[in-house]
Amino acid sequence: MTPLIEIDRLSHTYANGVQALRDVSFSVNTGEFLVVIGLSGSGKSTLLRTINRLIEPTHGSVRFDGRDVTHLTGEALRKHRAQIGMIFQHFNLIDRHRVLNNVLYGALGRTSTMPSILGRYTAEQRARAYRNLDVVGIADKAESRADALSGGQQQRVAIARALMQDPRLLLADEPVASLDPATSHSVMQYLERINKDLGMTVICNLHFLSLVRQYATRVIALKGGQLVFTGTPEEITDEWFQTIYGEDAREVEIR
Amino acid sequence: MKLRQTLLASILDLCLGAFLLSSVWRVVLPALTDLPAPPFGLVDVAAMVLAGSALIVIGRATGGSLGRAFARGALPDRAIGRRVTLHLGWLTFVVAVLTGWIVTEISPIEFFSGNGLSGAGRIFTALATPNFDIIGLALEAMVVTVFTAFMATIVAVPIAFFLSFPAARNVMSGSATERSIYTALRALLNITRSMEPIIWAIIFSVWVGIGPFAGMLALVVHTVASLAKLYSEQIEDVDEGPIEAISATGANRLQVLWFAVVPQCLIPFLSYTIYRWDINVRMATIIGFVGGGGIGTLLTQYQGLSKFHEVGTLVIIITLVVWLLDVASARVREALK
Ligand SMILES: Nc1ncnc2c1ncn2[C@@H]1O[C@H](COP(=O)(O)OP(=O)(O)OP(=O)(O)O)[C@@H](O)[C@H]1O
Ligand SMILES: [Mg+2]
Repeated sequence: MTPLIEIDRLSHTYANGVQALRDVSFSVNTGEFLVVIGLSGSGKSTLLRTINRLIEPTHGSVRFDGRDVTHLTGEALRKHRAQIGMIFQHFNLIDRHRVLNNVLYGALGRTSTMPSILGRYTAEQRARAYRNLDVVGIADKAESRADALSGGQQQRVAIARALMQDPRLLLADEPVASLDPATSHSVMQYLERINKDLGMTVICNLHFLSLVRQYATRVIALKGGQLVFTGTPEEITDEWFQTIYGEDAREVEIR
Repeated sequence: MKLRQTLLASILDLCLGAFLLSSVWRVVLPALTDLPAPPFGLVDVAAMVLAGSALIVIGRATGGSLGRAFARGALPDRAIGRRVTLHLGWLTFVVAVLTGWIVTEISPIEFFSGNGLSGAGRIFTALATPNFDIIGLALEAMVVTVFTAFMATIVAVPIAFFLSFPAARNVMSGSATERSIYTALRALLNITRSMEPIIWAIIFSVWVGIGPFAGMLALVVHTVASLAKLYSEQIEDVDEGPIEAISATGANRLQVLWFAVVPQCLIPFLSYTIYRWDINVRMATIIGFVGGGGIGTLLTQYQGLSKFHEVGTLVIIITLVVWLLDVASARVREALK
């Protein structure tokens, strides 16, 4: 079986000269819950964005389902992105629009311009949007404005939007970094359920090791743009912890 | 100093020298001696160049020169240079005030003369006793002016809306072609905007004839240019997050603009538009003076006939309407925040 994602000697240098990724290689199999850890600025967000190609890496290659997607453009690039859902630290919903519409925007990649701008979604799409809101338990908020929801609720809407894409992979860039501990667990549990019940592959950037130990099936760590660790959550010993986060770091618990 | 700075400083000093010399020689001295200035000739040009060169030489020698200070954006480091620069600054200021006094024909004698004061008395009395017989005519003209402004805004908004996207840097950062379209469009908008509506009104009153239509067209051009700039700055200010999120769904460029950018901009756009309508009512009045129709045209007609009681009526109506719109638009914009 070919892995779902193969990253090969990937490097990325931003226009301002910052080298965010250095020679990173790893692969991800279907069904994994892979967590990426590393200090702030270690390149986690950059890595995620090279996979759904919001960023075009400067060196190396990204293969998705056996196909090289490193330098896709135009229609092919949009089709590639449409297969991958993404959620963000700051949820990135369209604040002034209704929750249901925000979920429907997950279908934009498969809807042509005019019907989408005129708001002509099919009955099937609407039904699916409701079902996805149901998956994250907030179907009753469908008619509310997105910015009227709490942070945790907004992140669940964002998950429903990603599910609307019928994705093969879900990317999560620090999905709970701006949520309180209880809400963090609730959001992480939705991701876990999507991974276990729907069998969807998840790649998630996280800051708290306690969350990593609880939810990850595998962990990779970045340091200064380089891959410094690959293994299971149990294998992150104190020594590894200090290699990844530096000598003075202390582990903080989140319950 | 870098070559470009030196060049700029020299050009500025040359102009300054020419200005100082010609002001003193052709304006201040003739006014003081009551003799007419001799006809402008080659001698004057030579003298101006000489004066400019003198300033450049002084600048070289002492480091003190206004051109250098401007080009560097800072005063010279040496004390002597700083002193020379400051003295030159004072000299320029004094000469400019003297010249200005003379060329604007400032005359306190006329301002306070018996004849002048009785004229002022007459016009103020006339203005204060408006002739309300023409109120119907005046209101009609005011309605024309308000609608000229309104229609100009309505026509300009969609055009400005479409132009604002290619005029926003963050929308046009994709390729070199896009960046040059952005630069060209921005330049065009800036040039259009710096041409006053009154000039456009003169152009259009020749083109389509004197009247409200010419006034409206003039306002449309200026409104498109300034709204497109305001709109595009708003677009450049949007939060990148929703753009990333919508792009990640595989949406195309138009969809990203429509679903991620536009919702963030609509309220500010509306606010700018109302503000602009308010400005357009004032401008429509002024534009009437040069053939843009409405109350401005009526005003120039009565003024030409020295019918100041009627002018008084118009002034009252204009002031009232402009004030009302100002208050109303401020309120609406406050509510939109
Ligand atoms: N658009 C950009 N332009 C230039 N440099 C960037 C850009 N985005 C990120 N960087 C730089 O690249 C490096 C890696 O950034 P990245 O956002 O991938 O790190 P991260 O691990 O996600 O950090 P954080 O935990 O703070 O989100 C950092 O040094 C950052 O300053
Ligand atoms: Mg990040």
